[in-house]
Formats: sequence, C-alpha cells, structure tokens
Amino acid sequence: MGERLSGGESGRRRAHPGDALEIEALLVAAMRVDGQDTEAEQRAVNAFRTARDAGAHRARTRRRDDWRPREQRRVVRSMKVTFSLFLASLTLGGVAVAAIGSYTDSRDSAEGPAESAAGRPEAGPAATSAGSEAKERPDTAKDAEAHCRAYEQVKERGQALGSTAWQRLVTAAGGERNVPAYCADLLAKATAAATADSRPTKPAKTNNPDQENNSGTGGENTSNAGQGNNSGAGTEKSDTPQGKNR
Amino acid sequence: MGQAGESRRAQVFDGELGAAVAQAQEGDETAFAVAYRLVQPGLLGYLRGLVGDDAEDVASDAWLEIARDLGRFKGDGAGFRGWSATIARHRALDHLRRQRVRPRAATLEQDVLDLPGPHSTHDQALESLSTEAALALVRGLPRDQAEAVLLRVVVGLDGPAAARVLGKRPGAVRTAAYRGLKRLAQQLGREGVTDEAPRTLGEST
Repeated sequence: MGERLSGGESGRRRAHPGDALEIEALLVAAMRVDGQDTEAEQRAVNAFRTARDAGAHRARTRRRDDWRPREQRRVVRSMKVTFSLFLASLTLGGVAVAAIGSYTDSRDSAEGPAESAAGRPEAGPAATSAGSEAKERPDTAKDAEAHCRAYEQVKERGQALGSTAWQRLVTAAGGERNVPAYCADLLAKATAAATADSRPTKPAKTNNPDQENNSGTGGENTSNAGQGNNSGAGTEKSDTPQGKNR
Repeated sequence: MGQAGESRRAQVFDGELGAAVAQAQEGDETAFAVAYRLVQPGLLGYLRGLVGDDAEDVASDAWLEIARDLGRFKGDGAGFRGWSATIARHRALDHLRRQRVRPRAATLEQDVLDLPGPHSTHDQALESLSTEAALALVRGLPRDQAEAVLLRVVVGLDGPAAARVLGKRPGAVRTAAYRGLKRLAQQLGREGVTDEAPRTLGEST
C-alpha cells in the first residue's frame, strides 16, 4: 500500500531510496490491526442485514457517496446537466404552448353560450336568451349590438359582410336571413336594459310600489318585443343580469 | 525496489474488494463480511492514530453507518476504502468533539521516551518498534501530517482519495504526507539503511 506514496515521490527522495519505503513498511506492520475481532465483524454484518431487510440499501447516492473515478463522475454529471436542461426547456416550451391554447380556449368558451343562447331568436321568448346572454357575456352582447347597429348601415355593401365580425354576427343570428330579426330583437332588449339601468334604484331591491311601477312603464315605453318577460325576470330573479350589464 | 509486484498485489486487493462490495450491494452478507475483513485492518490503524484506544468503538460506529449506507455508495474497491475512511473520520471527529480530547493523547511523551534512541542501530529499532511505539510516533506528528501519512500508508489511499477524505487539496496532502514521513524517519534515526528489512516487513503484512 505504501508503495504508491513512495512511487509517486521517488523522484524527490532519490538520495535515500529505501528510506520512505522502510518507514511505510514499518508503519503498515505496526499500525494495521490484522487480528480480527469476530464479534465486531458480526455486529457489522448484523447491521448490514438489518439495513438490507429494511430496504435502506435502495437509498439515493449523494455526491459524497460517489467515489467513481473523476472522469466517470464528470461524464455522468454532464449528462445529468444536459438531461435536466433538456427537461427544463421541454417544460418551459410546454407551458408556453399551453398558455397559447388556454388563451384561445377561454375566448372560444366564453363566446359559446352567448352564441347558443342567441342562436334561435324565434325559438323562445326573449327573456331567457336575453337573461342568459347578459349574464354570460355582456361584452359579446355589446359587440353584437354594435355590429347590428353598423349592419343597418353597411348591409348594402356585400364585401363588408364577408369579414370575420360579420361572419360571427351571421353565425350568432343563425343564418344571414335571420340577421335583421336577430338585430331588431337584440337592439330592443339593449334599449330596454339601458332604460332600466338608468333608473337610480333596482325594482327587485325595493318595496316601493311607485318605483316598481316606474320601471315597468319604462320597459313598456322603450321596448317592443318581449319586454314584459324581460322586466318580469328582472323583478323575480333579482338584479344580477342588469347589475352585470351595467 | 519491487514496486511492480507490490502494486500488482494492491490491485488484486482492490479488485477483490470491489467485487465483494458489488456483491454486498446486491444483498450478499458473506461478501459484506469479506469487504469488512479487507478494509477493517487499515481503517482501525487509521482510527487508532486519531482516537487512540477508542478506535474499536469508533470503528464499530463507523461500520454501522457503512452497513446502513452501503446502497448509496458508488465506486470500485479503492473508492470503497476512501468512502469508508471518510465515514470513519467523521465518526472519529464526532468522538473527539464529544470527549474534548485532542488527538494527541497525554501518554505520548512517555511512549516516545520508551522508544529506542536515535543512535541505536536499525536492527534494534525494527525489532522494538511495537504498535504502541509506532502509534506514539505518528501521534507525535502534527495532526494534518499524521492523518495524511495514515491515510496513504496504512489505509492505502492514493493522493486524490486521501485529499478527498481530508477535504483538502491533493498538493497539500502530498506535502503533509511527505513531511510526516520525513519526520518519522528522523525520529527513528533511519539514515542510510538497506533494503532487506522493509522487504521482510512488506511480506509479513
């Protein structure tokens, strides 16, 4: 064992070649304890058996437990670094892609209910579609309103109707033929809601019969189709749609 | 100087140890006992240099930890000696911290007095260098030199491994080992000796 030391340093100690070797051999002979203590060995083996049976030997290797030759360690470490960088880039890329997806998804899903609710204006009374539409997506409703108002002006020009916004409006109306009816319906409701909103107090929140009457008359005055249902829904179901609409 | 033969023997030793450790990691307790027998003599010698008479207790603690953590170890036979020496050293330092005893015990001076004088002949010194005297000599060295000498000579680690056990740079450990051995040589009065004696001792180990 000691020969490695003297081998490495023989150049320095050429003056006394036997010197270090001799000392090392002396030390090895004197310090190494060759008489075996079987009891101590048995304790160690017992500890080994206990650890093995308890599954402790499957523990992870820490850096201080890795005594492989340095080059080997470095290769393994660089492979680990490369792999984790690769994983990190995959993760970040995945998050980015997922974020894109969720953005468009949220727009699509938010528009969905409004379209479906407004898709059949002739099917049901205006109250249900107006209520759900206003509740789900007031902005879309306003977009549709704006489109409808603009539609009145540009409907003569064919190419404007080809744009995406118009396509959306047509889809919402459930066909190009339905657009005028859809828009009339929508604008009427919007006017009714705006009138109701402009009142200082909500009908549902107050017991004052005067104000309730006021809102009722306001609705009758300004809207044509389905206004009765609309104001009825407003009184019964509290003010959530109108509140949100504001 | 017969180094080729010696190092070949060391390689066989390490190869045997590496195989035993690998088998023990597979769960073979007989192989673990083989590894114990191969490592324990040097480990105990190192611990004696550190903690004196408590070496057996500290070694026992160290082996409990080695047995428990064997699954974590990665490396060959030489690596296993370095790894186990690191564990033993930590246990020894814990022990010393608990005891608040410096590694150089108070009995040192007297042991040195019992040594043959520097002018006695080399045959006399060889015959009378008992384990106790060698221990006293080593523990008379500065701590870093004593540890470097013990790890490299008695445990049989190479320079980088000894440095890793001690948490120092290889150059510093090499220097410390060199100085320690030189000092030991001076204390034993070994100047201009022949080659016969070490060969005999080398074969006896």
